[in-house]
Amino acid sequence: MKKIGLYSLLLLLFCLCVYPFLFLGYSFSFENGAFDWAIYKRAITNPMTIRSFWNTMVVCGSTVLISTFISIPLAWLFTRTDLAFRGFWRTVFCLPYAIPPFIGAIAWIYLANPSNGFLKDLVPGINIYSRGGLIFVMSSFFYTFILINLLSTLEKIDPTMEEAAKISGASDFKVFLKITLPLIVPSLISGMLLAFLSAIANFGIAALIGNAAGISMMTTQIFIFQKMASYTGLKLSGVLSLGLLAIAAVVFYLDHIISKRFRFSLVTGKVARPSLIDLGKKQVGAQLFLGGMAFILFVMPIGAILIAALSKLQGDRSWANFGFQNFETIFFKTDETYRAFLNSTILAVTAAVACSLIAYFLSQASKKVTGPINKIKEAFIAIPYAVPGTVLALALTLTVLSLRLPLYNTLGIIFLAYVAKFMNFSYRIIHDGVSQVDQTLIDAAQVAGANSWQVFIRIWMPILRPFLMASFFLVFMPAFSELTMSVLLTGPSNETIGTLIFQLQEYGDASGGGSAVLAFCVLVIITILNGTLKISTKGKYGL
Amino acid sequence: MSAVEFKNVSKEYNGNAILKNISFKINDGEFVSFLGPSGCGKTTSLRMVAGLEKNSSGEIFIGNEMISAPEKGLFIPTRERKLGMVFQSYAIWPHMDIFENVAFPLRMKKTPESEIKKQVEEVLSMVELGGMGPRLPNTLSGGQQQRVALARGLVARPRVLLLDEPLSNLDAKLREKMRKDIRQIQQHFKMTCIYVTHDQVEAFSMSDRIMIMERGNILQFATPAEIRQAPATDFVKDFIS
Repeated sequence: MKKIGLYSLLLLLFCLCVYPFLFLGYSFSFENGAFDWAIYKRAITNPMTIRSFWNTMVVCGSTVLISTFISIPLAWLFTRTDLAFRGFWRTVFCLPYAIPPFIGAIAWIYLANPSNGFLKDLVPGINIYSRGGLIFVMSSFFYTFILINLLSTLEKIDPTMEEAAKISGASDFKVFLKITLPLIVPSLISGMLLAFLSAIANFGIAALIGNAAGISMMTTQIFIFQKMASYTGLKLSGVLSLGLLAIAAVVFYLDHIISKRFRFSLVTGKVARPSLIDLGKKQVGAQLFLGGMAFILFVMPIGAILIAALSKLQGDRSWANFGFQNFETIFFKTDETYRAFLNSTILAVTAAVACSLIAYFLSQASKKVTGPINKIKEAFIAIPYAVPGTVLALALTLTVLSLRLPLYNTLGIIFLAYVAKFMNFSYRIIHDGVSQVDQTLIDAAQVAGANSWQVFIRIWMPILRPFLMASFFLVFMPAFSELTMSVLLTGPSNETIGTLIFQLQEYGDASGGGSAVLAFCVLVIITILNGTLKISTKGKYGL
Repeated sequence: MSAVEFKNVSKEYNGNAILKNISFKINDGEFVSFLGPSGCGKTTSLRMVAGLEKNSSGEIFIGNEMISAPEKGLFIPTRERKLGMVFQSYAIWPHMDIFENVAFPLRMKKTPESEIKKQVEEVLSMVELGGMGPRLPNTLSGGQQQRVALARGLVARPRVLLLDEPLSNLDAKLREKMRKDIRQIQQHFKMTCIYVTHDQVEAFSMSDRIMIMERGNILQFATPAEIRQAPATDFVKDFIS
């Protein structure tokens, strides 16, 4: 009985998470049953394709390097020193992880666009529409992937490893260089690869800043090819998607090899309270450093969005220009706003519930299963998570069209995309929860006469409550403001919050303000949701 | 080799008194065990000698040197205290081979390379790991790893060797042999040793003197024979029986 459940779940996952990509590869590689070399030749000799490939490599590579240099000192300060307000700083610097990157792009466009950016007079020559601008805004988000990885590893390292070096006469710097750094290298590399993966898959920053700067990235080039709406355009976008997919696969494979080869067992014996390095007089310097960084990375962008949202006319700095007119226009005079909020809420709720349910049943069905089936299951879930959203959206569109499912241009296909993409979050949390529950608790309930439904309601649900909540929130948050996939899947009157902000910023709304109002709302909502999650799970989940 | 002395040392953490005004003196070349149930303050005391934790008040000496006196604003950092330490979890660095693990304290002292080679090989053969230098830690058993940790603690001829429940992760048979070996090495060097344990058999079979602690206080500090003959309190009597 259990086996049947597991196999049907695996079949469902195969249809949702694997088949679309196989179909994508097949349909773009074969023309009338024969392998189509011509389109590949055309794609790799197309100057636009080549340029977007190099731009992606250079911009994302630089982003990863800068992110690494930001993350290492932060991670060290947060875990190894007696830094004051540690918890606060930690949350602040991890928060961009939860915020959709396109909001950062909008903020920096308000701050540093060459025509009327707020910083134009303060910093002469500043121009966000440049390769440097693109790298800067990407780094300001994707460093969190490295930082969060490092924080968890640094906390897991047995503190006596470092204490033994101190006793041996090593200075704080030598301890870090000779002991800590070598121990975190695997996790550092894995964080760097993850940041690279997110950067190449990013659409929001690439489109909002890259397009205006004339720098095409792979994701935006796929979008442009697809919007050409010609047969060749579609084919080229498909082949470019396969290229992006191949890069993601290589990155994922590298991560797999590295984690296999270098993972030391870091946790041993009892983990005592680590002795923290006394910053002493450097405490003030550290606070100023973090304050300065936070000012540039958070206070300025958020301030810019707020000012833009409150400015009746962009660029005018007089008092009379400030008011809630933009809010009024967006909330009461724009039909799309209401629709977008409704659509995004429905999509995020249903996707979060679906992900959590599938994850729960999958965890239960595969509880005692080991070996290849387990590996297959994990791979099924990991694939859509690793695949760039642009590719996922394209693959789903093609699949839905070829199967003649009535989903094209509906919310249904966006729902499927969200479920496939965010399943990984749910599964990891709920699997963790299910495997923590001792079987004897369930046995005891059965001995006491509970049937399987009663066991589910009275035992599993209460025990798993924090995990289910975390699963719901961690899908809801990214789904609510998703852009990369939605922008390709959305149809008329199907706008989501992400696509509406994108449209307002990119096309309409000459006086600006509208996108800032919505971006501000998203920021507030995400921050509140994250805070709720963190408090209700007592700090286990949330940033 | 040096004596170790605590004068009116207290430690508070988050408003809890972990050590309550304790004073004692360990003589040069003596093997002393800190014995007591978990939470009694024995590990905290040891970590204060190492400088891995700071006392809230009182003075701590190694030999004639004052190493910590918060009232006088004095605190000598761990790396300058010239100590050796063996941890319960071994704390062998997985990214270095055995030779490099043991050589680390000498490298920090900038000992010449030829000297390092000689001294590491000497100490490795003393802990019965001769020729194991090029091996990686994950190819060693728990007992062997603990010997590496011991070699690393000894190699730089520390003033005091600190041992924090070093044998509690080993099985019973191995433990007995290690007890003898540690004691033998200690007597060979006439080295001051502080040994933290909750196992009274260990404490009684190895130590010159035993300091029995409970809830941040010293209940009795005497030789094994004295403690057996005249336990200071009922707690001591129960604990050792």
